[in-house]
Amino acid sequence: MAKIVAVHSFRGGTGKSNTTANLACLLAQKGHRVGIIDTDIQSPGIHVLFSLDPNDCPCALNDYLWGRCEISQTAYEVTPTADPASSGKLFLIPSSIRTGDIARVIHYGYDVNLLKEGCQRLIRELPLDYLFIDTHPGLNEETLLSIAIADMLLIILRPDHQDYQGTAVTVEVGRHLEVPRMSLLLNKVPACFSREALTDQVAHTYGCEVVGVLPHAEEMMTLASSGIFVVRYPDHHVSRELRTVTAMIEA
Amino acid sequence: MDARRIILTGCGWGAVFGILNCASNVFLLPSAPFISLRPQIALPMVVGITVHPVAGFLVGFVGNIIGDGLSGFGLWKFWNWHLANGLMGFLPGLVRYGGSNRISTVRDFGVLEMSVVLASGASVAFAVLLDVLFLEFMRFPSSFHSWILPAFLTDAVNGFVLVPVLLLPAGRLLITLETRTILLITALLVVAVLSTAGAITWSVWDDLSSPAATIENFYIAGIVSVILLVLGFIAALGFVRKITDPIGELTRAAEAVENGDYDLGHLGHVSARQDELGRLSRVLQGMAGQVRKREEALRSQVQELRIRIDPQRREREVAAIVETDYFQQLKKKAKELRQGMS
Repeated sequence: MAKIVAVHSFRGGTGKSNTTANLACLLAQKGHRVGIIDTDIQSPGIHVLFSLDPNDCPCALNDYLWGRCEISQTAYEVTPTADPASSGKLFLIPSSIRTGDIARVIHYGYDVNLLKEGCQRLIRELPLDYLFIDTHPGLNEETLLSIAIADMLLIILRPDHQDYQGTAVTVEVGRHLEVPRMSLLLNKVPACFSREALTDQVAHTYGCEVVGVLPHAEEMMTLASSGIFVVRYPDHHVSRELRTVTAMIEA
Repeated sequence: MDARRIILTGCGWGAVFGILNCASNVFLLPSAPFISLRPQIALPMVVGITVHPVAGFLVGFVGNIIGDGLSGFGLWKFWNWHLANGLMGFLPGLVRYGGSNRISTVRDFGVLEMSVVLASGASVAFAVLLDVLFLEFMRFPSSFHSWILPAFLTDAVNGFVLVPVLLLPAGRLLITLETRTILLITALLVVAVLSTAGAITWSVWDDLSSPAATIENFYIAGIVSVILLVLGFIAALGFVRKITDPIGELTRAAEAVENGDYDLGHLGHVSARQDELGRLSRVLQGMAGQVRKREEALRSQVQELRIRIDPQRREREVAAIVETDYFQQLKKKAKELRQGMS
């Protein structure tokens, strides 16, 4: 049975795409068939992490949503080169970076039901064990839909007041939509914070599990948007932390 | 240490030392019929320091036998001097500078140079004692001028100058800020003192028999040279340590800060200096204080970490979303959607 994980954050810049890419890679390395769908149509970016050249992708999610192609045509394999014997696979469904396409979405929108159907078909056709939905920050219609269809809502936040307030809204909305599992992942946590105290506080405040506390890692910043951290630095303590998060997602 | 290696090294370098002794006997010191200018005395000292004290002893002892034999003095005639040359290799090797066996500080360097000079003095004194007790070759006070003093002067000065020079390529003398400074000052000192002594010797070389340049003058030049060298060196040690000791303390203080210890009260006497190092020390103390303050502030902030959420604003924002028609429809369909997905 496939698991849909909607990854969301209230504001941009929380490291949402980066974390999604790393978690998906770790699951693929463990032998799962994983998909990532970039529904952040207004500001797509996750393809950069996988060094996927948009010019090599004739079909993007936008093309599917406008009925130009089948959803299966928009899935590109980006499995991190590791054990060739492994059954793990990673597929990316990128959004178009063409400014015309982006402007069109912002102007006319699209039928969000198509997104739902697209997800369904991806899970069936590829087929997938996990589908990550990389959402646009904020709570717009496709994000709400993503939450509605997700088995797990993973909210990424930084330890600051704006994120705390915004996360409270998302958690509440998630409860309204009766998401089976809601988890919080703290990212870019300064070294001076006590991990345990922060985990307790956050879990207590939102009544949700905290699946991980990721420190502010210099190396991650250096790598920026050009590579998958867990592939480049598999033994880094951040990678180990991400692995425990992956185990909690699998649980 | 492997005994075989000690004996082989000692005898091998001893042969070299012996040949050099014979060769240098051509250049006898003025007015000293038995003593030559012998830079090779650094050999037993260096072997004693770098290999083993016993190896150093063998170089001096075996080498002096070979040298005397080759020079036609007779193999055993001056056996007390064989032992004395052995001691010159043995004693500096016995002195270890702070256990590391590598010279990296002014203190180590001072110990090294002092051990060389003192070993020269002690060895010559030992040879004289043996002579007085058993051999009676020497006549006093003439032997003091013609034999004892020149032997001490040439060994002490050659050892003082050449041992560090040889230890440098052997990798035993590490170039640090401390050793670099003390080497520079020592080199200047040696050049100044020896060139003066050399000039005096040169000026009287051709008429050593003239009353104007008495033998005493020559000895005075030698003795004054050694005294100047030793005093100048001790002064240089103090001078360099005045500079380098605070640097070591500042480094340790910086390491303490790195390890989270911000109490730099012990830097007080460095901070009291009015020079650049004093200023650096005060800056470091101030910096550690600032870091401590900032860290404490941050820690108290973290302890006060309360996730404050404005409930009214949250309700307002949630309501704005859930009250839309779209959301209401989505909510109705949500369960069904999820079941349909997989």
